[in-house]
Amino acid sequence: MDIDDILREVDPTFHSVPQETRDLQDLTRAWVAERSAPELLHWPAGGLFERINDNIKRQIEKVEEMTGDMDPKTNFALIVIQTELERFKYLVRSYLRARIAKIDRHTLHYLSTDELRSRLSEMELAYATRHQALLHNHYLSSFLSSFPPVLQNLNDTAGNISMIDAPDLESAVFIRLLKDTLVESRGVDNDGEMDGRESDIVILRWSDAKRLVETGCAELI
Amino acid sequence: MPMYGDLGNKLVQHAKRTQNLTHLPPYQAELVRAVAREVRDLDKDVASLLDPFQGSFDPSTDQATACTLLVNHLSMRRNKRCLLAYHRTRTDKLEELVWNGYDVLDLSAQKTRGANSMTAGADGGTSSLSPQEEDYVRQYGDLLAAYKGQWTDIDLTGSLEPPRDLFIDVRVLKDAGEIQTEYGAINLTKNSQFYVRQGDVERLIAQGYLQKLG
Repeated sequence: MDIDDILREVDPTFHSVPQETRDLQDLTRAWVAERSAPELLHWPAGGLFERINDNIKRQIEKVEEMTGDMDPKTNFALIVIQTELERFKYLVRSYLRARIAKIDRHTLHYLSTDELRSRLSEMELAYATRHQALLHNHYLSSFLSSFPPVLQNLNDTAGNISMIDAPDLESAVFIRLLKDTLVESRGVDNDGEMDGRESDIVILRWSDAKRLVETGCAELI
Repeated sequence: MPMYGDLGNKLVQHAKRTQNLTHLPPYQAELVRAVAREVRDLDKDVASLLDPFQGSFDPSTDQATACTLLVNHLSMRRNKRCLLAYHRTRTDKLEELVWNGYDVLDLSAQKTRGANSMTAGADGGTSSLSPQEEDYVRQYGDLLAAYKGQWTDIDLTGSLEPPRDLFIDVRVLKDAGEIQTEYGAINLTKNSQFYVRQGDVERLIAQGYLQKLG
């Protein structure tokens, strides 16, 4: 038992909200954030997806069990559970697809530094590495191998232009403030500042919003 | 007289056109080879230009040569970009087809057969994919299957529309044979209509066998 466990025990919100409900909230949050953020966010830590997977498995088993007895009374409950299950699966699917789309778009960028690599889950990392290898191989066999050796790289940075395309961190996002905080933003002509109140909704550049989101002062919407 | 980069430009135009098409136009093997050849020729030019200087070339004393070198240098890189863009656009398209569950190789083979029967085999290999692309599709399909396999309960390639109803009305557009559902078997014959569980028929809708109503 470490300090986190003790703190959790005295946290009044800990026992009132069951784990499943909080997992669903976390998943929904991660899904909304991932879909609005221009760059890939961190893979949720703490075994969220393991728990969600287990839950889905359990519900599928339950559905199978309930289909077994054709009692009309359980039929309604069955439809409710199946609907909920479909929605749950949709959330996970949409979340994973949003991430894969971003990874595919800027594969080399996300593989280039350890910090960026750590954002991917193990499976995503394996997928991205393999995908990049396939692409490189494809280029090589299609035309690149007939090039002079100095031109065969895919990650040249000569002439101050990097061949590695990166996501646009300056694109705009909407955020909702979760507590009163100072919102700073860099503008084209001059920088702006405002005292944000809780539940204010602001639009600003992702590069400015990122810090607020990471510290938990705001969430993407 | 064609200028440096004209061929590369053509490739980019092909790529741009491909983005707005639903199918994949034939691979421009000849053009790709020509652009790659241009790069090799330019590289040879650079080598022969630099040869007399024995590695002691000073751009400020011989500005004409320096300019030629710069133009060659940039043209080579531009051609490379054009080639990369062209191939990437096509692989993106192929990946999209793989995600949507089409059997891309089968599709292109069918097309080949179809075209051949009409032109009486006048034109041998009319597959719109290059052999390298066929390899790529096969390997990417395997990769995707492996990634999907780790999420067995989710069906990653399923619909990205949020599910509203558990059951939907569908009309059968093409005979799809018999499918098994947890409520028994359904025989999907053309023009019939069914009220089925969305999860059971999603694949068939994506492949164009069924049409969702309402």
